Amino acid sequence: MDEQSRAILQRILRKLPGKKTQNTLRVWGCLSAEQLQDLDFTQPKWLLLENIISKCEESRLRLKDVTKLEMVYHVENPNQGTWHAYKLAEAEDEALSVDFTQFKEMFISHLEEVVQHVSIRMKKQEDDAVWIRIAWGDNFTKPNHLKPTYAVHYLQTPYVFILNLASKHKPFLYQALVLSTRHAAINEAHLTGRSLTALRDLLMKQYQQVFPNQNRTLKERNISPSHPNIDKEHAEVAERTRQMACEAFGDGAVPKLETAVYKLETRYRGGSSDAPGDRDELFRGVVKFSSPNLLESLRHCVSTGMSESPVTPLLSSITQKGRNYFVIAEKVPGAASQTPAHTT
Amino acid sequence: MIGKRDVQIWFRCNWRLVNMEERVSAVNTPANVPMTRRKSYGRSCMENPSLFWQTPGHLTTLGHRVPTSRGAARSCNVISKVDPEQIALLMKHEWKLAYVTPLYRFQHARLKSYSKHLTAFIVAERQQGVAIEVGTEAGIKVTVSTLQGIAENEDDAETVFIQIHSKPMFGADALKPVWRGWLTCVNGDHEYIKSLPPDFVSLPLFCSSGSEPLTALVKSWFERTFDCNFGPLFLNSTTLNWLAALWTGCHPDSNIRFLKLSWTMPTQPSLDIMYTVNPQDAWELWNSIHSEDGADDRIHIDEVQQFMNGLETHLFRHFKIYLSAGTLMKVSTSLGSAHHDGKIKIGSSDYMGTLLTLLTECALLRTPV
Repeated sequence: MDEQSRAILQRILRKLPGKKTQNTLRVWGCLSAEQLQDLDFTQPKWLLLENIISKCEESRLRLKDVTKLEMVYHVENPNQGTWHAYKLAEAEDEALSVDFTQFKEMFISHLEEVVQHVSIRMKKQEDDAVWIRIAWGDNFTKPNHLKPTYAVHYLQTPYVFILNLASKHKPFLYQALVLSTRHAAINEAHLTGRSLTALRDLLMKQYQQVFPNQNRTLKERNISPSHPNIDKEHAEVAERTRQMACEAFGDGAVPKLETAVYKLETRYRGGSSDAPGDRDELFRGVVKFSSPNLLESLRHCVSTGMSESPVTPLLSSITQKGRNYFVIAEKVPGAASQTPAHTT
Repeated sequence: MIGKRDVQIWFRCNWRLVNMEERVSAVNTPANVPMTRRKSYGRSCMENPSLFWQTPGHLTTLGHRVPTSRGAARSCNVISKVDPEQIALLMKHEWKLAYVTPLYRFQHARLKSYSKHLTAFIVAERQQGVAIEVGTEAGIKVTVSTLQGIAENEDDAETVFIQIHSKPMFGADALKPVWRGWLTCVNGDHEYIKSLPPDFVSLPLFCSSGSEPLTALVKSWFERTFDCNFGPLFLNSTTLNWLAALWTGCHPDSNIRFLKLSWTMPTQPSLDIMYTVNPQDAWELWNSIHSEDGADDRIHIDEVQQFMNGLETHLFRHFKIYLSAGTLMKVSTSLGSAHHDGKIKIGSSDYMGTLLTLLTECALLRTPV
């Protein structure tokens, strides 16, 4: 094993969570069953790592095996680093029929055409997600395996999620993605977060959504023990607020977003119309909401009456539009369409 | 006029005095204290109980005199008065705040001997129950010094700066600063300071930065040596509002770069809302509320409230969230930051005076009688 491979191997092994190490190595599949059996996973981590590395040396593993382990690590821990969501646009007719082999061939050839030194690894997971690892180099340098970019694309959907993409590599990756998926454009979805799963669930609406006509089912599910002192009317109001909160932010376990950012470029709306503070110029600012689980916090905020009903479109846009970065500009006077959240 | 409650307080004070006499050898007896004093230090509360008639249930040193207006922040070239290195030290760290009751028989002339005593005290405390090699005393060094030029008023006692150096466990022999703290009083309430019995020095604001156990040791040495008391100093939303307005008012003279306000909402899990306002826009809002009237530029609490309401309402119009259900946790601009938990950072030496004046006042308001 060369110096570089060993360095990368050490880095990945150190990142592996203790409990998952054994399983990750098994999924990786580069060490034989006997070698895995020889390892004592109750050892202190540093000792265990040394033993694993010597086993890898024994098996004469190469760089490509090491990068495979890195990908296994990211697939199993999709909540490391900051993921950015992208949306492919203007699908061509063949877009829906692109299969993995086709996609893989085209992606690699397109990327290798424009970047001389690039190392690509691609794997399709069971959930139809294609995981792509790209180590970038340029005309004079070898691919840098210490700072790879990860891209996850769900075949036949317009969604791509990207981790660690330097801006100088953006055009290359964009082009390769657009061409190999048979689309004409790719746009930032203005959705970022630490959990890849959450971003995917939010964009693909794979969480428990509540629609206005589901009124009754929700009520039946949440029968609270009747209490003589609770006024029926109050209960109804509370239930309505909860219903509204769930319609806006989802029910049950919601996708785990950490932040939502609003850039306000609106007129000052502080005082009453004749207050001295009212001005025609814009009142600029940035509002950042953050929480370990933003949607759950907002749902709680609305359902406990810490906010005025109905839920403002600014907040419900997070789920409705599947994004968490907004620029809020003043509505153009006279324009009929309501654009509470528009793209930069 | 004397209600039941007042009588109770009266008795409690007497009882407290007896306790004090047991504990402290040299208490100023009430007879020594001139009757003209309106405010008093707890120890001699027998002299003039009328204080409690005026402010039942509000037993702090400043009593009812919570200021409703204060002078606008003025730039003050501290660098010309204070050692720039010291200033740099003050601006480098985040400080945890505490209030301190007046120090008994504290003398600025004896700082050298305090350094020695505090060193010995820390070494002794650290050795309790721990096997320590004899002769490691040299591993710690405490310096107590005055920080001249911070005080603005002639009544203010000079600021006292304490620094603890320690030898790192491994490696180089050089002593490294591990803890620093200072006691200060900037524009302390004139009447209150004048009313202190002789032998008491009021340095009500204590700022510390360093490990919590060392802070506790320093506090405990001060408490034993100068018969004083430390207590945590939290910054309530009124104080944070004041800072937001005072700092915003500085914008034309010194670019504040941003006005950042952070609230925490009591949701499950908790929700943080951080509002960063464009400095120019914030100042224009402030300017539309606050009218400068000539030389005596005073800011009234109503204006501060109106300013903050203005910002909160603007947010409410967008997000419909009642910020009043949450807590204002932090205010910051490039001139400094202040956290609800009693932590501050000084961002500009020029406006340090304004910040410390406000904090001194907070400390005095929190100091129990």
